[in-house]
Amino acid sequence: MVELALRFLIVGALAFGGGGAALPLVERLTVEETGWLTHDQFAVGVGLSYATPGPILVLAAFVGHYVGGLAGAALASLAVFAVPVALAGLAAQLLERFRNIPWLADFARFAAAAAIGLLGVTLVSFVRPVLALEPLLLLGAAVVAFADARGVSPVLLIVAAAAIGAGAAVVSAEGFLSR
Amino acid sequence: MLGIFFVIGAAAFGGLGATVRLIQRELVEKRGWLKSADIGEAMAYTKVLPGSTGVQIVTFLGWRLLRWPGALAATAAYLFPSLAMMTAAAAGFAALPDTAWTRGAVDGVLVAVIGLLAMAIWRLARSEAGTPLLTAVLVAATVAGFFVNAAFVVVAAGSLGLALRFFRLRERHG
Repeated sequence: MVELALRFLIVGALAFGGGGAALPLVERLTVEETGWLTHDQFAVGVGLSYATPGPILVLAAFVGHYVGGLAGAALASLAVFAVPVALAGLAAQLLERFRNIPWLADFARFAAAAAIGLLGVTLVSFVRPVLALEPLLLLGAAVVAFADARGVSPVLLIVAAAAIGAGAAVVSAEGFLSR
Repeated sequence: MLGIFFVIGAAAFGGLGATVRLIQRELVEKRGWLKSADIGEAMAYTKVLPGSTGVQIVTFLGWRLLRWPGALAATAAYLFPSLAMMTAAAAGFAALPDTAWTRGAVDGVLVAVIGLLAMAIWRLARSEAGTPLLTAVLVAATVAGFFVNAAFVVVAAGSLGLALRFFRLRERHG
C-alpha cells in the first residue's frame, strides 16, 4: 500500500501536460513494473476514465482498487492529486511570486511535449494485442477516432464498443480475441 | 459551496473544457461568486504545474473563495462523484465472470480506447507542441519511451527546456 501511494505521488508530481499525458507513466509504474494489472485491465481503466466526468487521473481509484480494495482506491486517489492540488493552492496563495517563474514554464513546456510523445508508446501497447490477432479491428478504432473528432460522446462510444464486442463474442461462441 | 462543486464534478464530462464552462455558468453567471478574470487567471497559473488542470482550477478558485479550507473542500467535492464512480466500476469490473461476452466487451472497449487515445494525442500535440522544436521533442520522446522509463524522459525533456533558457540568457548577457 505504501508502494501504491508512493507510485501515485510520483505520477501526480510528474504529470506535466495534464492527466491524459501522464497515462504512459501510470502504465509504466502500475502495470509494467509491478504487474498489479494486465494491459487489458489498464485499457479498461483508461476507457472508464474517459467515460466518467472529471479528470483522467481518477484512474488511480481503479488501479488502487485492484491493489487494496476501497482503501487502496482512496489512498491512490489521495496520492495522485496531492502534489497538483498543493501546488495549485500555493499558486493561488503566492500569486505574485508565481507570475515570475519563467524557468518553470520552460520546464513544463518541454516536459509536456515529451509527455504527449510518450502517449504514443501507450497507444502502441494497446494496439499490439489487437494487431496480433485481428488487424481489421483497427478500422473500428479509426471509426471511433473519427466519431470522437466529430463530437460524439466518448461515453456513448465506449458503451457501444463494449456492446458490439460482447455481441460479436456471443455470436462467435467464444471470445473472438481469444487469449 | 460544497454542493456546487459536487454538482460540477458530477457533470464535468470531457474534463477541462466542460469544467471551465460549468464553473463559468454556475459561479460567475448565476451566482457572481467569481469573475471571468478569476477563471482566466486560474487557467494561466495552473497550466505550468503538473497535474490535471481541471482539478487545479477548482483548487485555485476554491482558495480564492475560502482560502485553504475552501481549496481543499472544493477539490474534494469536485472529485468525489468521479472517484466514487470509478471505484464502483472497478469493483464491478473485477467481479465480472470470465465469459465469452465479457471478454468480447472488454475487447470492444480496448478498440474504442485506441481510437479515443489517438484522437487525444492528436489534440494535445496540436495545442502543446506547436513549434518545430517541441514537435521534435515529442517525436524523440516517443522513440525514447520504448527504451527508457517514462518518468526519466519527461524530466530529461523538462531539463532540456531549462538548459536552453540558460544558454539563451548567457548569449544575451555575452
